[in-house]
Amino acid sequence: MQTLPIISINLWEMLYALLNLLILYLLVKKFLYQPVKKMLSQRQATIDNEYKEAEEAKQKALSDKQTYEEKLSGAEAEADSLIQSAVQNAGQRELEILAEAKEKADGIRRQAEADAALELKKAEQTIREEIVNVGTLLAGKMLEREMNAEDHKKLIDALIDEIGDEYEGH
Amino acid sequence: MTKTSRSFRLLDMFYIVMMIVPLAIGMAIQVLTKPATEGITLTGARIFFTIPMPLMDFPVTESQINSLLVTVTIFFFCLYMVHGIHERVHLKRQHFAELIVEKVDGLVHENMGEYFMGYSPFIIAMLALSALSSLSSLIGLYPPTSDINVVGGWAILVFILITYYKLKCGPLYYLKSFTEPVALLAPINFLSEFATPISMSFRHYGNILSGTVISTLLAVALSGLSNLVLGWLPGFLGEISWLRVGIPAVLSIYFDVFSGCLQAFIFAMLTMMNVSGAFPKEDYEERKRKKLLKKDAKKQIA
Repeated sequence: MQTLPIISINLWEMLYALLNLLILYLLVKKFLYQPVKKMLSQRQATIDNEYKEAEEAKQKALSDKQTYEEKLSGAEAEADSLIQSAVQNAGQRELEILAEAKEKADGIRRQAEADAALELKKAEQTIREEIVNVGTLLAGKMLEREMNAEDHKKLIDALIDEIGDEYEGH
Repeated sequence: MTKTSRSFRLLDMFYIVMMIVPLAIGMAIQVLTKPATEGITLTGARIFFTIPMPLMDFPVTESQINSLLVTVTIFFFCLYMVHGIHERVHLKRQHFAELIVEKVDGLVHENMGEYFMGYSPFIIAMLALSALSSLSSLIGLYPPTSDINVVGGWAILVFILITYYKLKCGPLYYLKSFTEPVALLAPINFLSEFATPISMSFRHYGNILSGTVISTLLAVALSGLSNLVLGWLPGFLGEISWLRVGIPAVLSIYFDVFSGCLQAFIFAMLTMMNVSGAFPKEDYEERKRKKLLKKDAKKQIA
């Protein structure tokens, strides 16, 4: 088999090598470089996206936290005011109840006094009626007969007795 | 697509097999066609057949076949590397693929600048083809890089690129650049223009070929020494050159592995340096700006 000399120049062989390198360049570009680059850029995009999402989530969490803190402090204030108003209400109610009770007691007392006064009036009325009756009776008796002082005294005593009996009889 | 799916693994297997098959074919060709030579000779690539072409015939030699086989291997290696890559890593090979792309990207960015980032795949291809061509001598193939024509072809491509970037500012600018710094130096500048591809190709080819030459010389020397020292052994034992076992392998680590990878790196480095150095970026931008201004002026007049 023939061999080339160790140093030989052949243009076609050079062209062949040149094309070989060019073709390999295109193959490497298409099947190694571009897929890897594409994958890398995709990964970059994914990472960027995820960072963005994480940042957004963090922002949201922070704003949520703020809202909740505000709400919490609002709730505390509300609770405070509730307690305060409750205490106030209770105090007022206490006063009201006391006033009511006093009023009631006053009412009862007044009623009792009124009742007593009425009773007294009734009693007076009764007494007056009795006196009128007695006077009528007395007048009747005096008209019935002439009487002396002794009789008069006896009569009055008897009258009073009578009256007392009548009272007892009531 | 997951790592465990059946079709995925089958395709993986296919790629790996296709990576190995070209090299096996190369070895088979080597075994089948290499004549048993007496002694150790130093020759160029063996010619399989010759295609008649205008100007000069095109002999298809071992370097052509082997560089084709290496190209196929690299192609399937690429397919294997990007098979199943995903933005969420679940394959080990993906780290390697990313490492390759990012390292070369960094190298190109460092040596050529932002404008030349499109050269990354070219540099990857160049490094891979050069290194694997040189390393193919490890499995007994004829390394295509030890043929001046192969490396010369690459250097011509680099020369075309250099000239293309030098012509970017117009032919007048290109011609004027020869008279820098003084017009007297024009012939030397003109020569140095052609010296770049020649020096590049001869450096690469010479280094790989010198490794082969030294290995051959060493083999000859060791067999002679072996005959001299161990020739007294009885029968066929005396005919085996014992000293050729093991010792050339150690030197092969330098001449084949280290030198091959180093020369590939140097060739790629020089390509990057020369191509990016050929591009007068500031002048080009200035020229572009002036053109735009002219256009605007014309528009205003119209």
